[in-house]
Order: sequence, then structure tokens, then C-alpha cells
Amino acid sequence: MRIYLDSNAGARLRPAAAHAMAEFFRAESAHGNPASIHRAGQRARRELERARAAVAALIEAPPRALVFTSGGTEANNLAVIGAARAASRRRIITSTIEHSSLLAPVAELEQRGFEIIRVAPDGDGVIDADAVAEQIDTDTALVTLGLANAEVGTIQEVAPIAAAARRCGACFHLDAAQAAGRIPVVVDRLGCDLMTLSAHKLGGPPGIGALYVRPGTILAPLILGGPQETGLRAGTPNLPGAVGFGCAAEEALRSLDAESRQLDALSRTLLRRLREGIPGLRLNGPMERRLPNTLNLTFPDVLGETLLMALDLEGVEVSMGSACAAGAVEPSHVLIAMGRSTDAARSSLRLSLDWSTTAEEVGRAAEIITRVWRRVAACEPRHEVRP
Amino acid sequence: MSPRVLVAMSGGVDSSVAAALLCEQGYDVIGVAMRLTPDDPPRAARRRATCCSHDDFEDARRVAELLDFPFYVVDLREDFRRRVIANFVGEYLNGRTPNPCVMCNREIKFDRLWQRAAALQCAFVATGHYARIERDGSGLFHLRRAADDTKDQSYFLFNLTQTELGRTLFPLGALRKSEVRARARALGLVNADKPESQEICFVPEGDYGRFVERAAPAALRPGPIVGEDGAVLGRHQGIHRFTIGQRRGLGVAAAEPLYVRAIDAATGAVEVAPLDRLTARGLIADQVRLVRHLPTEFAAEIRIRYRHPGLPATVRLCAEGRAEVILDRPGPAITPGQACVFYRGDEVLGGGLILQALRG
Repeated sequence: MRIYLDSNAGARLRPAAAHAMAEFFRAESAHGNPASIHRAGQRARRELERARAAVAALIEAPPRALVFTSGGTEANNLAVIGAARAASRRRIITSTIEHSSLLAPVAELEQRGFEIIRVAPDGDGVIDADAVAEQIDTDTALVTLGLANAEVGTIQEVAPIAAAARRCGACFHLDAAQAAGRIPVVVDRLGCDLMTLSAHKLGGPPGIGALYVRPGTILAPLILGGPQETGLRAGTPNLPGAVGFGCAAEEALRSLDAESRQLDALSRTLLRRLREGIPGLRLNGPMERRLPNTLNLTFPDVLGETLLMALDLEGVEVSMGSACAAGAVEPSHVLIAMGRSTDAARSSLRLSLDWSTTAEEVGRAAEIITRVWRRVAACEPRHEVRP
Repeated sequence: MSPRVLVAMSGGVDSSVAAALLCEQGYDVIGVAMRLTPDDPPRAARRRATCCSHDDFEDARRVAELLDFPFYVVDLREDFRRRVIANFVGEYLNGRTPNPCVMCNREIKFDRLWQRAAALQCAFVATGHYARIERDGSGLFHLRRAADDTKDQSYFLFNLTQTELGRTLFPLGALRKSEVRARARALGLVNADKPESQEICFVPEGDYGRFVERAAPAALRPGPIVGEDGAVLGRHQGIHRFTIGQRRGLGVAAAEPLYVRAIDAATGAVEVAPLDRLTARGLIADQVRLVRHLPTEFAAEIRIRYRHPGLPATVRLCAEGRAEVILDRPGPAITPGQACVFYRGDEVLGGGLILQALRG
């Protein structure tokens, strides 16, 4: 049995979500367009709105504030480009450890003349909230940050940022794609105006996400056409995806406490077991204020690339940095920003657990990873890696 | 459990068919594409006039998907830069004419890549090279020319030792290129009719001079073009633009055609002479490796560049990995930096890099 430890790339689909989508395809409403006037359209619309309410409940938002998108990447693009286009201000504040779907639209705006402030993290991937807050002024259009980092799992403290943004009238966007469903995420408590969600990080299907838009926040749509999604996202929504998303969000919310306690216990066990077998193993990111499911580890004396392949051949699926178009791995920009050397970044892997990970899997994974690390370290020429 | 083999896949038809043949033979195949140059994977569209948007790695990946074996991309750019590209540039700056494919095989494919393969518990590394490895009754490995004489690549592989031959597979060695393409078509491989790559992979336009100039602008050696008597016939912008036996691009007017006879890296002088003055009686090679044990003096046919037809000679092994090679009859221009490979019939005995020509 293969062991899947890459849920930050995409968690395993929750059986309830799979079931809900299968039921949806069996039902008559599968053919309806939520924008249609007739009864089929009305049935489809009811399904869509039911899903919207379920996803909104996860972050305690009013359902109407939620815009379905094709995923977290589109939601991030809509937040960044949409807020910038709607504002007359010229400053955007972000950090150096964000997901590429935030970094790229921000870089695009930089090309178009926006002033970009990129705040660097500390060695644990923590963004100094006061340092960010200090940068917010009355010319700031947008502050955009990941609530929890995808690669190391660091959870940011954002209260001072939210307060400063509100004071200056700047839009505050949080990318909660990795956080939602793993830790409590409440939009009003966090004080953000925009929030990105992704279905397949919390056990829903890939190909659907959502952007929370606080009522009163002005955004320019990216996809133009019909009036769907309160005019913020034209096009017939991915209805089966929404059904799966809604179901997964419901289940994630219902079992949030139990699952996050379980994930925390399992990831601590995994880390402890790995440390016992691998002297010099280093955890990247803080022990506390970290997503309970994410372990980013620097392995001594090996190239992460080789270890990743060797683990895959032994049935353990993990990830490293970000894959380029060709499938080669680049050292993680997050670890580099945290001050790790390129060599250390090249020797680091991310292990991310999900709702389905069992204690038995964690035990077996620890045993396999330790064994494979020993073998790979013995084959690797020492001078090639300087962690 | 069937033996595991790591197949180096470029996305070309040869390595793809090599992987397919190994699958058919029951090996546990793992496909690996090597990221070697700074801009790997190269864009297919840049080389071909077709409107393909997928790259060579994508072709390799599709073959792996079709045949259902694991496929990975390994990053060997740093090793390639240090061990192949830097050597290539340095050799040109020293007035020599390197063969980077020989160096890549020695330093990357059968060294660095093997280390990766070992970490993945592979018993073998396989490539799409056209050459044959045979094991005789005593357990000795022999490296032989390919069955398809026009495609033979054994020249590039002389550095393989017994240990390396024992863990290397060349599945195409017994096939003709036309058969390889036919196999690819029969299997429905996407790259069955892909054109051959002819150039050095990291110099896509084939302009070595410009590549060296970009890589080491501060180290270029301009100097005089001189005749055999030392008379200055002209000037040149850098010795890296010249190779022994070169006739074109000298910019020197003379009654009879002149060829580069010698390059003096110390003074930057390029010596030119009529063709008959380039004749050599032999050469000194260094970094010599033998495929199998041989006496210190043996007869062989030597090939002094790729596709060279071979010249009968006597090889005498010397200290410090050197060999003195005396041709039976004086031969043509000999180019330092190129490989001198020793053959007996279709068997590769070993070889080395040409250090200098022996003349007079």
C-alpha cells in the first residue's frame, strides 16, 4: 500500500465528497444551468447555493460573500489583480514566501508600475506583523499574505496587519488555501477583506476554489461575460466541483477539532520517529504556530531530489520545493527566503498529512524514510551536499 | 524480482526505444531525463520548424506514460557546468579541440547518473547509445562497435571500465537505426520520426567560438598567425577559434592553401602551413583508460575523431596514464583535445585524449 504524504499539493478526496458528486451526476439536476429560468436551472441553482453556504460556513462568512473560482490560483489572481484594478492607490504589500499564484500576479502589477513591498520572514518563516503594518499607508491598495505557508506550514499572526489596513483603508487579502479545514479560520476574527480557499487541500475535488469578498469590498472581475457569481466571475460555475467542495468543507468543519488534534499528534510522532533514526534531521519552520499536518525537513547528506525518487519507488509520496514545467524540482524559494542555503534547500522535503492519514501509515512511513535515507546517504558523494 | 534499470532518456527516439526494449525484456525500468544545461529542457520549437510546443522532456514523459514506468527529471546542471562545460571552454582557451560528449559520458552519465541509479537500487544504467557490450566465457566484458556502422557511437564510450561495463546496458547495439524507428512507430511512440540531434547539446547554434567568448570573455587569447618560419602573416582574435587542420577563416592570403598546423596557447600564435606539413607519425595521449587488461605495447587501429575510419598503429602505455601511439604509416592532421580510441576489429580496447602530435 502506497503512503500519500503530499496533501499540501492536494489532499485525498473525502469519501463523502466523492459520494455527493456521484449522486449529483446520477440526479436529474446534473444537466441544469444555475443561470437558467426553468425548473432544471432552479434545481442546479439550489445545489450551487447549498454548496456555497457549506463552504461559507467553514470560515463563518455570509454565503453571498463567496465567489466560486477554478481553484486557489484563480482566487489569488482575482484578489490581487482585481483589487489593484479597482483601486487608485499604487502600493501593494506582500512577503517573499508566498505561493507562486500570489507572487506572479504581484510581479505582473510591478511591471505595470505598482510599488511592491515584499517583507522577508525570519528563520522560521514568520512574517513580522508589525513590520508589515508599518508599511501600510494611505497609498496602499492591497496587503496580500498567506495565512499559513504551503511549504513549511508557518501560521502568521495577522491582527496588527488587519488593524493597520482598516485604518488606512487598504484591502487585506489572506490566502487561506492551506489553512482552511486544518485550523480554525474565521474571516471576522482575522479581519481580512478577501480570502482564498481551495477545495482539494481540504479533501474536496481539484478544479474548484473560492474567494471570500467582504461585502463592500470593490473588485474588478478578471473573467468577463455573464452576471454569474455577483458579477465577479463570469461563466457557468463548476457545479459538480462545488457540490464536492461543499460536502468536503462541511465534513472538514464538523471534524476540525478532532482532525487537527489527530494531525498534530501524528506529525509529532512522525517527526520524533524520524529524528530517532536520522541524526542531524532539521525541522524547517516553528514547532508551534505551524499547520498540524505539515513537516518540512532538511535531511543530512542527501539530495532531496534523489531521496524523493527513492521514496516514491518504495511507495512513499512526498514533495520538494516546486516542480518546474518539465518536472524538475527547484529549491524552495521559501526556504531560501528563510535563510537556508541552496544546498540545504536542495536537501529538504515536505511531508504533509491529511484527514485520511493513519497512525499505522505514519509508523510505516517513518520506518521506510529512515531506511531509504540511510541507503541514499551511503550512495551520495559527500562533497556534493553541504547542508 | 526483475533487475531494476535506470534508463537515461533524452526524449529522442533512441533512448525511448531503448526503454521500450528493456520493458519487453522484463526489466524493472525507471526513466530519467537529465537536466544538464542552464536552459534545459531545450525547447523543441527552437530546433525544429514545426509548431510543437512541448519539449523534449515532455516527449520522454509521454513515452514513460505509454509504457507505464516511473519517470523523473534529475538536476545535474551544476555537475555538467563544472565537469563538462568548464572543461570545454578551458580546452578551447588552451588551443585544444575538446569532445564534450566523451567528457559527459565519463563524468556525468556513467559517474554522476550511476550514483543516482545506485541510490535507487538500480543494477544497471542504460542509454540509447549505439554500441555493444558482450561478456565472454571468462566473465570479461568487451565493448564493441554497433551493428549499424553508420550510427556507431563506441568512440564516445572508450572510458568505460570493466566495472562500468558490468552495470551498463546498450539495448540498441544490435539494431539498425531504421529498425529502431520502425520499433518506435510500431509502439506508437510520439517521437518515432523526430529528427536526429547533431549539435553539441549546450551549443544549440553550433557556434563554439561565440560560446567560448560568452563564457570567458576575459580569457580570450588574440595573437599572430605565423608561417612555419615564424613570419607573421596576420592577426587573429583568439586561439579558441582555431582547430588543427582548419583551412577556412584564417584571413591569410597565400599562393597555396594553408592549414592550421599548431596552436601555441602560451604565445597565442597560430601556425599555418601547407597540408603536407601537417602529417604526423604518431601522438601522445593522456588520461588513458583501457577497457580490459592489455600488455604495455599492443597493435591497434586508432580513431582520432568521431567517424574517423581508423589507422593501424602501435600503442605503448607509459607512466601517468599516458600512451605513445606510433602510426604504421604517417597520417593526417592530429588534433589535441580529441579522443584517440584504440580498436581491434570491432572491439574498443581503450583510449585517451590527444595531448600532442608527434611529427618528423
